[in-house]
Amino acid sequence: MLAQKITIEPVTRIEGHAKVVIHMNDAGKVEHAYMHVNEFRGFEKFCEGRMVFEMPYITPRICGICPVSHHLASAKAGDIVMGSPPPRPANLLRELMHMGQMVQSHGMHFFELAGPDLLLGFDADPAIRNVVGLIQANPALTVKAVNLRKWGQNIIKILGGRRVHPVFAIPGGVNKSLKAAEREEILKGMEDAIATIQVGLSLIKDWVAHNLEDINKFAVFPTGYYGLITPENGLEFYDGDIRLIGRDGRELERFSAQNYLDVTAEHVESWSYLKFPYYKKMGYPEGVYRVGPLGRLNIADRIDTPLANAELKLFKQINPGRPVENTLYYHYARLIEALSAAERVGMLLDDPDILKTDVLNTRQDFKGEGVGVIEAPRGTLLHHYWVKPNGQIERVNLIVSTGHNNWAMSKAVDSVAKTYITGPKVTEGMLNRVEAAIRAYDPCLSCSTHAIGQMPIEITMLDPQGNLIDQVCR
Amino acid sequence: MTRTLVLGYGNMDRQDDGVAWHILSALARRLGCPFAGLQGNTDPSPEMEEELPSGREVDFLFDLQLLPEMAELIGQYQRVCFVDAHTGQAAEDVHFSAVEPGFQTSPFTHHMTPATLLLLVETLGKQAAAGNQPRVPEAILVSVRGYHFEFSQELSTETLPLVDRAVEYILDWLG
Repeated sequence: MLAQKITIEPVTRIEGHAKVVIHMNDAGKVEHAYMHVNEFRGFEKFCEGRMVFEMPYITPRICGICPVSHHLASAKAGDIVMGSPPPRPANLLRELMHMGQMVQSHGMHFFELAGPDLLLGFDADPAIRNVVGLIQANPALTVKAVNLRKWGQNIIKILGGRRVHPVFAIPGGVNKSLKAAEREEILKGMEDAIATIQVGLSLIKDWVAHNLEDINKFAVFPTGYYGLITPENGLEFYDGDIRLIGRDGRELERFSAQNYLDVTAEHVESWSYLKFPYYKKMGYPEGVYRVGPLGRLNIADRIDTPLANAELKLFKQINPGRPVENTLYYHYARLIEALSAAERVGMLLDDPDILKTDVLNTRQDFKGEGVGVIEAPRGTLLHHYWVKPNGQIERVNLIVSTGHNNWAMSKAVDSVAKTYITGPKVTEGMLNRVEAAIRAYDPCLSCSTHAIGQMPIEITMLDPQGNLIDQVCR
Repeated sequence: MTRTLVLGYGNMDRQDDGVAWHILSALARRLGCPFAGLQGNTDPSPEMEEELPSGREVDFLFDLQLLPEMAELIGQYQRVCFVDAHTGQAAEDVHFSAVEPGFQTSPFTHHMTPATLLLLVETLGKQAAAGNQPRVPEAILVSVRGYHFEFSQELSTETLPLVDRAVEYILDWLG
């Protein structure tokens, strides 16, 4: 049989084109698979010349998928550039908004988008392997899932003042305090939110129990893990140092985000527009690492909210004393994080400083350079600004979560393709597994993800002369 | 009174990707309805965001993307018109089609289609109607070809003329 090339190319919009190319060898086996990503092209250049205080409002407009994460990371960079640390109540409120984002994003990923496909099986008929099947199994859950997301979104709206493009964080703090009635409104939905996430957790644990064979051969590979951490090695979404652990789970580095360039470098591959971050001391590709839910749970020893901490203890039993390497466990980790974020909302609202009106530090001690870091739902997000004394942005460097995971996503696609694509015909189940390898990382590939009807995906098999051998499209 | 929601989505800061914003603005102007996009305002203040349904015959809503929680709102209308951009997936520059409830899988997350959203409307309606067949709004999708997606709020010269065609079609559909 002739060597052939399979291309999976979703027709996305504007930025964020991504496609999977699977090269078949003469024996009809997968030789290698690549995932090509093209993201944030031109974004950093576009910001040059803008004022640093504009950045928290520009960045969410560029990316419509995780506006809150960019909004907050940008404001945090601005705090440092302007030498204006926010008062404690402002940090609590920023974190509260961030928890709203974590809950709504993780909730939507599991309940409405990735979860149904996963729970109903890769080989099931596509007509039922979707949210319809999940609804049939538990229609009340659909209502709860919608309410869960609404609760998270409402936290963002209460603080940000509007649904689209929140206006909230500014260098030095935030522009609005929380009212007692708003606090009550958020608290009212918290118990239901936690209960819904717990239903999700029971679903995923049941799925894990019945799918261990797939889980243990589906894109399992060693990497380092990277993310924010509390001083006691607890799970952290908003602030703190970055912890990097190695394949064996041992700590390699612990550092301030301000020094990320000392630790992290970016490799360029000719076949991808997106760079590949790695741990400098180990080099590329030895020093590649993963971020996001799996990465964060792997670097953390504990979670400072009781229900999520109990779940973390169970999670850690999967691979005692070592990092969990299975790509499909991203889904499980995501739900534990959602639980922690929902619980954290309660802790923040119980903090005696949460209703205080001292939310903006107007004193400034201009530094001219700063790095803002946050754990976005899909991983560590870094905004690095160099600013002129007049406040104009001179240079911007962004490392987004999807960038950190770039190598891992490509590796996952390669691994899954080699494991499951066994011949010239690509079945529905094979296609779905390749998609699932990407989906597990919850990549932010599009600034505006919509297209006419279905987002098309196509696998085309070509012989070396470019003639069509087989095509799978839906 | 038949209540209709015109729901546009896209990124108004990415040139033609935000064509729906321009269509909704033009449509609202023609109908004399309030919409935050009137007067070319692409940065509505919170005060300009009103609670929906408003009680008027036609309401307008614009967002960056379709979201699950929109299902509750859509369920309160008899008709819904989704307005979006496309990059050539449809043969026509201005594409019109009916939308029926149905899940559409996506290789990526954070991507919800009009059909999937309508399915959620149906599901939520079933819950509310205690298992009876719920009413799902009559829905259409109006999708306009985008050609350029730079950092701009102004439409390209190719897409700009398509706005009026889309508006005329929606006006016909509204009756």
